[in-house]
Parts: sequence; structure tokens; C-alpha cells
Amino acid sequence: MSQDLTYEQALEKLDQQLKLLEDGDLSLEDALKAVDEARVYLKICTERLEAAKRKIEVRPEE
Amino acid sequence: MLKPEEAARPLTVTELANEIRRELRPLVALLVKGEVSGMKRGTKGHYTFSIKDGQSLINAFLWADDARKVTTLPEDGQVFIFRGRVDYWAQYGTVRFVVDQVEFDDIGKQRARLEELKRRLEAEGAFAPERKRRLPYLPRAVALITSPTGAVIHDLQETILDRYPNMTIVVYPVQVQGTAAAPSISRALRRCNAEGLADVVVIARGGGSFEEMFAFNNEVIARAILASALPVVTALGHTSDRTVADMVADAECRTPTEAGSRVVPRKSDLLKALAERERRIAREQAQRLSRETERIATRRQRLLQVLPNLVRAREQRLARARADVARLSPVAQLARRSEGLVDRGRRIDAAAAMRLGRGRTLLASRRAEDRIERAILSRFAQATRGLDHRRERLIALSPDSVLSRGYSITQDADTGAVLRAASDTAAGRRVRIRLASGRVGARVEETER
Repeated sequence: MSQDLTYEQALEKLDQQLKLLEDGDLSLEDALKAVDEARVYLKICTERLEAAKRKIEVRPEE
Repeated sequence: MLKPEEAARPLTVTELANEIRRELRPLVALLVKGEVSGMKRGTKGHYTFSIKDGQSLINAFLWADDARKVTTLPEDGQVFIFRGRVDYWAQYGTVRFVVDQVEFDDIGKQRARLEELKRRLEAEGAFAPERKRRLPYLPRAVALITSPTGAVIHDLQETILDRYPNMTIVVYPVQVQGTAAAPSISRALRRCNAEGLADVVVIARGGGSFEEMFAFNNEVIARAILASALPVVTALGHTSDRTVADMVADAECRTPTEAGSRVVPRKSDLLKALAERERRIAREQAQRLSRETERIATRRQRLLQVLPNLVRAREQRLARARADVARLSPVAQLARRSEGLVDRGRRIDAAAAMRLGRGRTLLASRRAEDRIERAILSRFAQATRGLDHRRERLIALSPDSVLSRGYSITQDADTGAVLRAASDTAAGRRVRIRLASGRVGARVEETER
């Protein structure tokens, strides 16, 4: 599900939730839901940033 | 023998040299084709050599600056097309061809072939922007297809790791020059796709002459790039012309640094952007909550204001409704009816009790019947006896019995008063005389006292 999102997709979802929040048309429940969701995507984004492991791998020609 | 006017003004050697140079000045941007010989590199990085054909020879010179810029460095025995100007070197009294560009002799044919390839690819839509794959915003890993040695791979790695310190780099070492380059690079690109270790591929080399870059104008490479599922970025050097590889690639950079920046975002920027979003989330949440709290407070205030009236009116209505309900409710009706029933029940009970009482009395009297009967009979006998006795006394006392003895009773006819003295009547008054048998009406004639 949301764990399969790329950084960019998660960021897009995060921005969608932010936009919803900032447009201010949400009910309180929906606003709090949007906050929770935004936090989830924020976490995914942060995880994606750390997902790469500094590593230089050389694949010599066979 | 010189004529006097001729001898009057001899040229110095320098003047002559300058004159020659001036005369030679139109000989610029010439193209000369010939074979190279005697190639020598000078201490200051310049080159000296000769260009010759079967019959003639001219000394040639390549400045160090130009030597760095030419597409290829000539070697002895090869035929090249040289571009340059003719100069007279006054110091040595020699005429030289100062080269500023070197091209292979069959360049025209190669260029023509290249143009034809470009036309074909163009017709296929290989260069169309809409065909190009998007570069990932943030790759999991970057594949580098380049020479494993030299400045290019170093610059690439440095740029990438500088921007993104924990980025994974997968290097596919290839030959980037010579006839082996095109198949080597194509193979690496296919492997790269097959292994899927990276999300984006950089094909890089540090520039070079037209000839050196020719591998990147090869259809084999163009096809390999077009077939790649992974987006491909070229970084083939800022000194070279645009190659077919550049044109079919998904992004085209000149230097390794540029390519590194293109494929990997700056991690610190991303972190900053995320932190900014985090702040916005927190701010939105806080704002929303405080706004909500405020709204609730306003409403509470309003509620407190309207509540008393509201409650009063409601209470009144409720009271009315309650009364109606009480009156109309089946329960109440039932209660009322049952009350009636109870009442009736009570009355029935009372009546029954009464009847029962009477019954009991009756019953009791019946039980006493014999006794009563006896008493009655005895009373009756007694009464009869009394009656007989009285009848006898009545008979004895009755005036009738006196009358039978010859007495009579005179009564005033009008008043009925029994006359006991003469003065009880007067002459002329009607009297009635009761005899033992019958009565006589008479009028008083006279009275005597």
C-alpha cells in the first residue's frame, strides 16, 4: 500500500493533504485525518531519504 | 647595379618579413589535406610537424591551446584535413601552416552517414520529447556506465555523494573509445536494465574529437538507449558536438558534474523541504484546533445567551405536551377506565357483600325459623286471647249495649256533639238520636233546665 510509494509519490500525497488542510474546507474530523495522513507520508518520505545505503558497487564486464 | 632611387631606401629584414606577413594575411581559414610526418610535441605543449602530399611539403604548427581543442591529434602517416592559416615565421625565415583544427579525411562521408542516421531516428520519433522517460525524483541507486578510470567517474561520484551522501552507485565499467566502445556500452546498458540495481543510468565520458566520440553516434548505442526501460542521461563532455546518444537520451548533460546534479537531488534540500512541510502540518493542525476551540467558545457563549429562553419555551411546550399525553395516552385512559372498573368492582363487591349479608341474615333467620314460628304462634295465641278479652270489654262498654237497655244518645245534628245537658242545645236545633237499633232525626221544641 503506502509503503510501496516512491519518494515523489509520497511527497505528492503529502502535498495533497497539505493543500486540503490549507484550503481549509475540511471538517474538523477530516482535517485531523488529513494531518494524520500527511504525517504518514512525511514519515515515508523521510524513510525514503535514508533508504539508500552509501555503497559503490562495480559490475565488471562479464 | 641598383638604381639610385632603388638604393635610396632598402628594407630591413624585419620590414621585409612584415611585408611578407601582410601579403600572407588573406591566407586564413584554409583547409589543407595532407599526410602528417615528423610529429613532435614541444615543451610548451605545442606540436610541430609537416604536411605533405606526393610533391610538396609545408611545415605545420599547432599551438598548445589549439591542441587541447582539436577533435583529434594527428599522428604520422595519417591523412587529415587541417584548418588553419599561413604564417611567416620571421625569426627562422620559414613559412608555416598554423593549424587550429584537425579532421579526418573521410569526415564528410562519416558526417553524411550520421546525418542519414539522425534523419531516420527523427522520422521514428526517437528524439521526440514525449518519448523521453522522466528521471526519477529520487533514485534508489544510480548506475554509471563509463570508463572505470579517470576524472569522469571521479567527478560523477563526487558530485552524487556530495549532494546525497548515502546514495548507492553501481558502476558498469566500459570502453568509451574505439571500435569496441559501442558494443561495450550497449551491453552494459542492457545489463543495467536486466539487473535493475538502479533507477537511472548515466553514460559518461570526458569529451573528445569527432572521431573519438564516434561510438556515441553509432546506431547500436542509439538503439540500446531507446530500448532501455531505465531513463538514460548522457554526459559526454563539453568539448564535443551533440551526438546521437545525446539526442535519444532522456536527459542530456555536458559534464559529469551536471549529470550528477541532474540525477540526484540535494538531500539537504529535500530534508529542508520536508521540515518545511512538517511545520506547515503542525501549523495547520494548531490553527485548525484553535479555530475550532474558538468556534466552540463562541457557540457556547451564544448558547448560554439563548439557553434560558429556549429552555423556558421548551419547558412550557413540554409541560403542555406532557399534560396532553397524560390526558390522551392510552395508559391514562386505561388507568381511568380501570379506575371506573375498580369503582364498579367496589360497588359490585359492596352489593354482593350486602346481598351476602342479607342472605346470611336470611339464612340465620331460617335457622331460627322453628323457634320463631313457635314464638309467633305463642304470640298469636296470646294476641288472640287479648283480643277476645278486649272484644268482651268492648261489648260490655259499648253504648250500643247500653242503648239496648233502652237508653239513647242524642247528638247535635250539625256538630255531632253529644248532648249531656239541656243547655247543650236550644229550641229549633236539629238533633240526631241514636237508638239501640237505628237513628232518629228530630228538632228541639223546648228545653228545660
